[in-house]
Amino acid sequence: MSDLELNRRQLLAAGAGLALTAYGVSGCTVERPLDRSAAGDIVEPKIDGDLLIYNWAQYMDPQIQKDFAEEHGIRVTEVNFDNLEAMVTKLRAGGAYDLIFPSSEYVKRLKNEQLIRQFDRSKLPNAATLSPFYDNPWYDPDSEFSLPYAYYTTGIAYRTDQGLTMTESWNDLSNPDAEGRIFMLDDFQEGIGQANLINGFYLNTARTEELEVSKETLLMQKEGLRGFSTNSVQTLVSGSAAITQAWNGDVVNARNQVDDPSIFAYETCKEGVPVGTDAMSIPITAKSPGTALMFMDYLLKPSNAYRNVMWNGYPQPVAGGREAFAKLVKDDPSIDVNLEEIADSSMEFRLEDPEARQEWTRIWTEVKA
Amino acid sequence: MNTASAFDKPRILRIFTGLVYLFLFVPIAVVVVFSFNSQKSLQVMDGLSFRWYEEFWNDPALRDSLFISIEIALITMVVATIVGTALAIGLVRAHSGASRGANVLMLVPLITPEIVAGISALLIFSQLGIGLSFWTVVLAHITFSISYVTIVVRGRLASIGVEVEEAAQDLGASRWESVRLVLFPALWPAVVAAGLLVFALSFDDFVLSFFTTGEESQPLPVRIWSMIRFGVSPTINAIGTLMMVVSISAVALAVLIPRLFGRRESGVKVLTGAEE
Amino acid sequence: MDPDLDRGQGLNQSRFWNWFVAPGALWIGLLFAVPLFLVLALSFGHVDDFGRGVYGFEWSNYEAVFDSTYVPVLVRSVTYALITVILCLLIGYPVAYFIARFGGKYRYVLIAALVIPFFVNYLVRTYAWVALLADEGLVNNWLIDLSLTDAPIQMINTPYAVIGGLVYGYIIFMILPLYGSIERMDPSVIEAGKDLYGSPFRTFIHVTLPATQPGILAGCVLVFLPAVGDFVSAQLLGGPDTYMVGNLIQDQFFAASNWPFGSALTVVMMLFLAIWMIFYLRRATRGEADVL
Repeated sequence: MSDLELNRRQLLAAGAGLALTAYGVSGCTVERPLDRSAAGDIVEPKIDGDLLIYNWAQYMDPQIQKDFAEEHGIRVTEVNFDNLEAMVTKLRAGGAYDLIFPSSEYVKRLKNEQLIRQFDRSKLPNAATLSPFYDNPWYDPDSEFSLPYAYYTTGIAYRTDQGLTMTESWNDLSNPDAEGRIFMLDDFQEGIGQANLINGFYLNTARTEELEVSKETLLMQKEGLRGFSTNSVQTLVSGSAAITQAWNGDVVNARNQVDDPSIFAYETCKEGVPVGTDAMSIPITAKSPGTALMFMDYLLKPSNAYRNVMWNGYPQPVAGGREAFAKLVKDDPSIDVNLEEIADSSMEFRLEDPEARQEWTRIWTEVKA
Repeated sequence: MNTASAFDKPRILRIFTGLVYLFLFVPIAVVVVFSFNSQKSLQVMDGLSFRWYEEFWNDPALRDSLFISIEIALITMVVATIVGTALAIGLVRAHSGASRGANVLMLVPLITPEIVAGISALLIFSQLGIGLSFWTVVLAHITFSISYVTIVVRGRLASIGVEVEEAAQDLGASRWESVRLVLFPALWPAVVAAGLLVFALSFDDFVLSFFTTGEESQPLPVRIWSMIRFGVSPTINAIGTLMMVVSISAVALAVLIPRLFGRRESGVKVLTGAEE
Repeated sequence: MDPDLDRGQGLNQSRFWNWFVAPGALWIGLLFAVPLFLVLALSFGHVDDFGRGVYGFEWSNYEAVFDSTYVPVLVRSVTYALITVILCLLIGYPVAYFIARFGGKYRYVLIAALVIPFFVNYLVRTYAWVALLADEGLVNNWLIDLSLTDAPIQMINTPYAVIGGLVYGYIIFMILPLYGSIERMDPSVIEAGKDLYGSPFRTFIHVTLPATQPGILAGCVLVFLPAVGDFVSAQLLGGPDTYMVGNLIQDQFFAASNWPFGSALTVVMMLFLAIWMIFYLRRATRGEADVL
């Protein structure tokens, strides 16, 4: 007993100290303040160090990175995330990435929090051929903080060689033929979004009663799921997935990795097709912002855009990219998406109200638990 | 009747044990064998080649991570061994109430799930404004390793006893001298064994590193996690095999060194604390 | 009394040894104990508009933890960990017994061989199981080749795979303490027991088991505690219905960006585990359990 008696007394003393500390720090945030002084500086395109890219997995042709590295004699490393929230968390914790790939909505958020750097687009020769829509997008007026990387639709990818009946509906995610081999994207917006569409709600609804209904839909769909994953290419190629919620380019990427490309198909759903843009930005914590900017320009070069699109299957709104995507669409019209749909933006994910976003993440956590 | 000899093994037990060994080794065999597979497949073995080892070596990020893991493990080993040995000596020799409290404090990291250790490390680094980096991983590893060293060294201390030190003091040595000239020489095989054990633990560690790593200099297990999550690659088998060789070497040394330096009992006994 | 012969009494003696204890105790205190209190403090906080954790004085996180959505996750984690412990004990005890009592001069080799698989990184080992048990993995291919089944049997992404992964990951922590305990046992006690109780089985129950109780206790604790908080097994081998508290906590810190809620979950998990820790520590300091 005496061994632990002392421990208890120490514990009490510590507890008292804690109470005082807690009172003192209440109201303080747990994050360290980032050095935001660089936020206002304009980044100049020049090589100022190695490049650390933070991107979705299997989203960029590795050869492009290797060529850029060789051309400039630097090292290019790619680190992956599978979740935009995780990306933001790492960024806020001081993660010193040079180039990140947020979606449109996240660009606006990061801009408001002064977490990304400004640059002068006219200094990038290859940015001239970008589609005019991106000169002044809703999430980044005057395009000073981001450049578009790719745009996409969300639909369902599936195996054609397993006798599945597909109905071009989000209800295909509970297709009884494929029960136990269905994946849903591990993304709170995509997951809740498709449930909203099934129930006829606005994609970005913030109404609690509607979200609760969607939650029930999700719980019902969860019964037949094999897992949640944003790595659709991997789950398709490895054979774990017979059906998966996926982004349009992933089906092309998956086809590139198997002997028989025709086993994968993609459908968009009649209840609604979410669209969006993925952009590239430079965080304020970047150690080599100049290199990042030069790499952005390099990606937009027509020849590089062409091969990147052929590799990852997503339309890129730049010369070279447009041609490549048109070719892919000819072979498979289902993956098509055009900029008018993007400009329309009612089918784009936009949760700008922080409370709504917390409501969504709460619902998502409850679904996954 | 004397103890059961090697001729008296019950059949069932032997078969059962054999099966368990099989269960334990099959995945390891798969990893090692497929690391030499010439094809990308993880199902079909198709000829021998070193290509996955080459891919590993040619990837600068992976190569860096290997060296980073080794560096972290070395620093952790040195610091944790010094601090932990001192702690062990102090705990065994002191008889104060404070040392009893310290004893309990020392045991807590050993039975705390790593995820909790990782989160608390993450929080304190965030709170103090320390960006996550190579050094935050080192600090976290040392914190968690001290207790292991203390446990191993303490076991050895218990069997050494105070008599020799007391004799030295009778002969005029100061307390510090008796510790330095008498205790340390008797103790050092256990210290080395504990250090190498800590090296292996740190080298292999994932959860703690996952929560405290920066993004540029990531230890190897964290890179492996990303590779597994984001893609299937046979290179993982090569990495796994390499890491196994490093870890086994460290522990083999830990077991052999006490034996080589004249102790009657084997290093395994030193490490598992079994009696002579 | 001659000060040089003063052995153990008096402040002088303690002060000297306290210098040895201080660095370690301070390090663990500052970098382990204090951060734990930070977790506790943050658990009473909330999230601000930017998703950052803010300290405060609210119970809302704890209310959320005991919400009917999350309690099943906690229960599931404990259940999986318990099953893991039982399986480890059932598998590990015979093996430890065999090596300790019948290993003879090969004892150390056998133990060393046992430990070797655990020098492959935990992630790589678990990943090997994914490769083995996948729909197109080795085991399924083998089963189909042997015509034991037509279609692949789904083995991964199930609770069985997760528990299997946990057992595989932690069984060594059961076997080693058991082995130590059994080895320390005086064999003549077993002989005496055989004379007393007649059957080997009753000898085992009445003599061997109680004598090895410290090892059993140590093994159970060393497996149970980390298993509850494990997230690697569930992440790699599990499906959507095998979500464990470790996955939930990890999500709160990296995906959902809700550190206060994650902290509350951590605190609840720690409190639950603390009950067992204290139970074990008391037994350990009283000598009834193997001091690690």
